[in-house]
Amino acid sequence: MDCFDEFTDKESVSRILKNKAKEILKNLILELKNITKEVNSPEGLLTIVKDINLTVEQGKPISLVGPSGSGKTTLLAIMAGLDLPTLGTVNLLGSEITTLDEDKRAQIRGQDVGFVFQSFHLMPRLTALDNVMLPLEILGDPHSMDKAQEALEQVGLSNREKHFAAQLSGGEKQRVAIARSIVNKPKILFADEPTGNLDKKSSDSISDLLFSLNEIIQTTLVLVTHDLFLAGKCKEVYELSEGQIL
Amino acid sequence: MRRGLIYGLKKFWSEVFSGDLLILFFSIVLAVTSISSVGFLGDRLQSSMQMQASTMLGADLVLRSTSQIDPEFLAKAKASNLNYAETTTFLSMVITEDDNLLTSIKAVTESYPLRGKLKVVNANGIQIQHSGAPPSGKIWIEKKISESLGLNQLDTLSIGNKNLIVEGIIEDYPDRNSSFVGFYPTAIANIADVEEMGVIQTGSRVVYRKLFSGTKNNLNSFEDSLKELPSDIRLQKAIDVSSDLGEDIANSTIFFNLASLFTIIISVIAAMMAVRRYANRNLLHTSLMKVFGASKPFIFGHQIMQLTLIVISASIFGLILGYSLQHLLLSTLQGIIIIDLPSPSLRPVIIGFTTAAFVVFATTAPYIKILSETEPIRILRNDFAIRLSSNFIIYLVAFFTMFGFLGVLFQDIKLIFYIVMALILVTFTLYLIGKLLIYVLSLIKFSNGTGWNLGLKNIVQRGNDSILQIIIFGLSLLFLVVLAETRTDLVDSWGETLEEDTPNYFLFNIQEYNLNTISDYLEDEAGIIPDFTPLIRGRLLSASRPESDVNFDNLMDREANLTWRYDIPQSNTLVDGTWWTNPDKVAEVSVDQEIAASMNLEVGDELNFSAGGKTFSVTVSSFREIEWQSFSPNFFFILSPAAGRELPNSYITSIKIEDSEKLMNKFITRFPTISAVNLEAIIDQAKKSISSASLAVQYIFLLTLIAGILALIASIYSNRDQRTKETAIIHAIGASRAMIFKSAASEFFILGMLSAITAIIFSTLLSSIIFYQFLDLIYSPNLIILGLSFLLAIGFIFFAGVISVRKSVYASPMITLRDS
Repeated sequence: MDCFDEFTDKESVSRILKNKAKEILKNLILELKNITKEVNSPEGLLTIVKDINLTVEQGKPISLVGPSGSGKTTLLAIMAGLDLPTLGTVNLLGSEITTLDEDKRAQIRGQDVGFVFQSFHLMPRLTALDNVMLPLEILGDPHSMDKAQEALEQVGLSNREKHFAAQLSGGEKQRVAIARSIVNKPKILFADEPTGNLDKKSSDSISDLLFSLNEIIQTTLVLVTHDLFLAGKCKEVYELSEGQIL
Repeated sequence: MRRGLIYGLKKFWSEVFSGDLLILFFSIVLAVTSISSVGFLGDRLQSSMQMQASTMLGADLVLRSTSQIDPEFLAKAKASNLNYAETTTFLSMVITEDDNLLTSIKAVTESYPLRGKLKVVNANGIQIQHSGAPPSGKIWIEKKISESLGLNQLDTLSIGNKNLIVEGIIEDYPDRNSSFVGFYPTAIANIADVEEMGVIQTGSRVVYRKLFSGTKNNLNSFEDSLKELPSDIRLQKAIDVSSDLGEDIANSTIFFNLASLFTIIISVIAAMMAVRRYANRNLLHTSLMKVFGASKPFIFGHQIMQLTLIVISASIFGLILGYSLQHLLLSTLQGIIIIDLPSPSLRPVIIGFTTAAFVVFATTAPYIKILSETEPIRILRNDFAIRLSSNFIIYLVAFFTMFGFLGVLFQDIKLIFYIVMALILVTFTLYLIGKLLIYVLSLIKFSNGTGWNLGLKNIVQRGNDSILQIIIFGLSLLFLVVLAETRTDLVDSWGETLEEDTPNYFLFNIQEYNLNTISDYLEDEAGIIPDFTPLIRGRLLSASRPESDVNFDNLMDREANLTWRYDIPQSNTLVDGTWWTNPDKVAEVSVDQEIAASMNLEVGDELNFSAGGKTFSVTVSSFREIEWQSFSPNFFFILSPAAGRELPNSYITSIKIEDSEKLMNKFITRFPTISAVNLEAIIDQAKKSISSASLAVQYIFLLTLIAGILALIASIYSNRDQRTKETAIIHAIGASRAMIFKSAASEFFILGMLSAITAIIFSTLLSSIIFYQFLDLIYSPNLIILGLSFLLAIGFIFFAGVISVRKSVYASPMITLRDS
């Protein structure tokens, strides 16, 4: 019986551990293992990020902070599959994207990933609505216009649908960019210095919007910033210095 | 890919009207307009010339002989399903009760003419509804005969033993110049009456013609069956005649082709600059699409769809414009083309689309590759610069594909070769000049910070962009200047062919005893001292080459008008051999170079002639090029005085008479035996042709000029975004508007001046090649055109450049920077 009990206990512990691991794995949306990025420069080989290990759980916003040149943006690009590391692996949404070619990575980004950039990167020749429709049009979504209108409504810009980028303020441009990033209901949303080009008032408004949308659409926010106040709103904060997490 | 294609389709018009693709669109429109207008025109002119040529022959194919033609040819024509007609032409006196007149009698079968229109009217001017021959016993006469002999409709005249009733007046008939009797008035009779006339005797001068028409294949099969024609039968085809027609059209066609080629090249340059700007601006869009999940095939599909739609829409637009322009050209060429033209074929349409596709391929291929391979990481790096150096191979492929296509299109490898060489040479020179300029300017220390200095510094700072602009300005100007020079010299050379003192009358049948009387009369009445030229009616019997066995048989036994003289006529140029070695002692002959070539003659050959009842031999001493447009008496064969002086001859002269009708009426009354031929109608026709062709050339040149201006604008605007941003920055940090304007002015002045100087220098080189090799004209630099081109080019680049920065100078720097 002891043996049985012992066996039962061991089995149950093992099962519990396995389930726990499965649960953790199931909740993991992003996993970085031993990520190193090196580039050639006029001064020789330059290491931008070095041996980074990081996991992001679904629904838990994280932020990467650090001074300029610490490797935050490079790490974000590697996490999102916009760039490849020199060493290490990235598992994004269950796919090891470091083994995939650019088109396969693009497919994953198109379906489940959203982006917000410091420079907004709105297409100057497109209206606000057309800008928001862009990711859905690439996917061939027949309801792209309805969804884009809904997204603009979510960011409070339904009255600016027909405006071009040049007719919007900085804060409004970033709202359009946020609407564009959430229009495909992404599982993960990468934001690179989303308030970096904005004044205090717009900055507060944008950060509130980002975090509220994060909850509404149940996405996972990965934020790169050197605004510690903004970073502090995330559940986990990683600090980078000279390419390494402190 | 499919999604990319659909996306490209949806976004096409918004992309085009956003501006980036507009210059590309219009470049292609211009290229297609140019090539299709020339194509439509050429296509229809060719058909027109074929029709005119057939009209001149009265058939598609003619067998001509001075003796009866064997009926076996008729059987062969029937076997080939050809239509058939026959004419017999001879000179005979037309006799009335009171008078008579030497007339060219054209006896025809009822199926005459096979091509062209015969127009015969009655006394009331109403067209008589007849087939091609008058009924037996009736005759049609030209107005000149009815006037000379006082004949009216239904009057009777006689030719030989046959009395004929005048049924109508001939207003027009084809094959007017088909025989030696072209100068005499014509009467058309039924061929069935010839025998009864009894005027054709052994030794009579008669031209027998058998006329055939039919489909191209049937004509070819008939021609194949004629391989071994007897030496006395000559085969005449419409296609051969057409090559001799319309030198003005031929010359203008060369110019049209040249202008069209240059327009395409300049359009390619404009398109290249437009595509460069489009690609630069589109890199953000493409990177963003990649970030949002667009694959390489998606981007590729998007680009391909947009470019395909540009090719289709610009081609349609260009073809419509091309067709309209062709109509305009045809209306200006009406003086030359007198026949209703057939509809154009589909060939120009196909050429238009193909040209558009090649222009787009040549200009966009490198950028499509760059855009489809764009890395999405550029978005995070804010890196939207295009580096073309790694795509040099694609540029080379595009360059040679384009010129390969142009070689096929214009079917003139030599011309394309010269153009490619000029392009490479000029590009390389402009590159070196640009490099040197930047090096020299970089050595200068600009310390006082004026607007002019700032502009010069900008040239250095823009580096390769500045060099590229010098190259583009230079190449566009090169082709424009070459075409401007070609246009001007061509039009001038046409104008020179008909000078003010061009004779308007030929007088012939002048006997020696009349020379002084006529000379005195013309001097007294009109102040003219005529230059009489001896005219000897002869026949070329045979030719031989000393110590050689060359067979000239099939070219011999032809009618020949001969003359003799000491000096070479003013309108002739010696092209081979020497003028008389000893004019009074040695019997020699000088031959027209074209006749000599057709007879395979060489200097030193012996020619045997018969004239005035005797036969004689002369040695070919030289060949001459004859300027036929001089309207002076010109001869295929000119004898040395030793050979010709003793032969019986009459005289011929050409004179220029003001108020000609009044004077010539008096002259004919005074000298009834002299034949006078009025050339005014021919001269007027030639003048009309020249002015029509000149006007058509102006229209085509205008098209090239527009393409050139578009290329210059495209080049100026190619780096406008960067310039606008820089302007806003220096404006924001305190530079005044005047300073910014001066900066742009000095920059564009230097760039414009260097490219204009280089373009002008190289244009003289390229023009001389084109003049010498393709237009058969002597080139002498036209200093007015060159000087004017130089000033206009600098002026245009200068003002367009300054205007291009105007908007950013007057806008708020803050807004400009925020928008950029």
